Amino acid sequence: MVGRAAPREDARGVSVGDGVKAAVLLFVAAIAQVSVFAQLHVFGAVPDVLLVTLVAVCLLRGSIAGALGGFFAGLLVDTASLGTLGLTSLVLTLAGYWIGRYGETTGRERAHAPFLSVAVVTVLYQLGLLVVHFVLGESAPAGAVLRSLAPAIVLNLILTAPLYAITRRLLKTATRGELSTEVQLLG
Amino acid sequence: MLASSVERSKPTPYPSKARSALVRRTILVVLVLAALALVTVSFRSPTAGALHDLQGAGASALRPFQIAATRVAAPFRDAYDYLDSLARAKAQNAELKRVNAELRRDVLISAARAAKYPELLRLLHFEQGPSFPHGYRVVNASVITFPAGPFAHRLTIDAGSSSGIRVDSPVVSGDGLVGLVTDVSPETATVMLLTDPQSAVAARDLRHGVRGVIQVGPGGTLVLNDVPKQQVVQAGDVIVTDGTRNPRYPDLYPYGIPIGRVAAVGATDTATFLQVQVQPFVSFGSLDAVGVLVPKHRR
Repeated sequence: MVGRAAPREDARGVSVGDGVKAAVLLFVAAIAQVSVFAQLHVFGAVPDVLLVTLVAVCLLRGSIAGALGGFFAGLLVDTASLGTLGLTSLVLTLAGYWIGRYGETTGRERAHAPFLSVAVVTVLYQLGLLVVHFVLGESAPAGAVLRSLAPAIVLNLILTAPLYAITRRLLKTATRGELSTEVQLLG
Repeated sequence: MLASSVERSKPTPYPSKARSALVRRTILVVLVLAALALVTVSFRSPTAGALHDLQGAGASALRPFQIAATRVAAPFRDAYDYLDSLARAKAQNAELKRVNAELRRDVLISAARAAKYPELLRLLHFEQGPSFPHGYRVVNASVITFPAGPFAHRLTIDAGSSSGIRVDSPVVSGDGLVGLVTDVSPETATVMLLTDPQSAVAARDLRHGVRGVIQVGPGGTLVLNDVPKQQVVQAGDVIVTDGTRNPRYPDLYPYGIPIGRVAAVGATDTATFLQVQVQPFVSFGSLDAVGVLVPKHRR
């Protein structure tokens, strides 16, 4: 493994058009999630189209876009579902930032990156929500959440390929230089 | 493998990289703090306040989009539900068949119980009615074996000596006299029906006070024997047990248990007694529940 400094860091950034596209994509995903997918219970789990879309955006557009996208998408979810404001935002912001960093560094150009990211983030997202709900003293059914983890991972992995393909088609793949990078792992 | 194929770029100066990292982390911290602030305010005043109003307004603004999404998804959801229901149909079918079998069984059991109800009700009415003999209590029992054929005139009931039943205890149903206990074991007893050739019951015509003995006649019908030709017995008269005529010779049956109704009266010039045919009140072929009369005080 060889670490290497990234080039043209100043050129990094998401263009306005890309930003709008990503925002629209996340908006549609959030609305679809709260209106349609939240009602789909398969083996006790709910497919999370928003989380998968966010992972795709993060991998393609980096940590800042991921954190911002996670924050506002979470805000949309909390607003639409009349839940505790900021709760989903908090977890999705951290998830978006972390996946963005993974995309900027280790995960880029790897075919399995979206799948790995979705699997890991599904677990962390569920556990993160569980912890936040628990800390707030709200209902936090750990047993039910843990039991639904495996089916949730499978469902989200099924969604990953099409959603990642759509997202990549909409957001033209950023050149490596457009991503904030400090380290690239090879192999 | 080293990064030989990776496009090499100009080395980036450190300050720029550091600035980028700073910006990135600052944005993260600001967003996290904003989220925490939202959570705090929202959690402390979940049903009131400016933030709550803002959330309500936001939810109202998002409502059309949600409705649109629901409508767009409706056909897909219907299709999913249809396929899902198909997949579950097999399991449901097996389950419904099982439930159906259970319900059929329950219906049969209920029907069988309901069929016994009128007989039990008549027995209860008899036991609580004025014609129930004094000095007796009743032991209710179910018939467990029935007369096996035209030549058998005995049945078995599911109560015996442990319930106080003794040999020679009279047995009744809701319609009238059934017979006499001829054998007991602790939990069962054998009842000799009135139609048994060995059965003989002292009886009387309620209307005319004529006395006789109920026995089985030719063809298995009941007849009132030993009625002199001078006595008057008419068709339709009710025959009941006569009870004890002489205290020195107490009868096995208490007075007044209905036996049957006179069906026909005949007399021949040569015979000494009337030929009185009696139609029993009890249908001996379809007895389910009977009561055994047990004296309250042992004689």
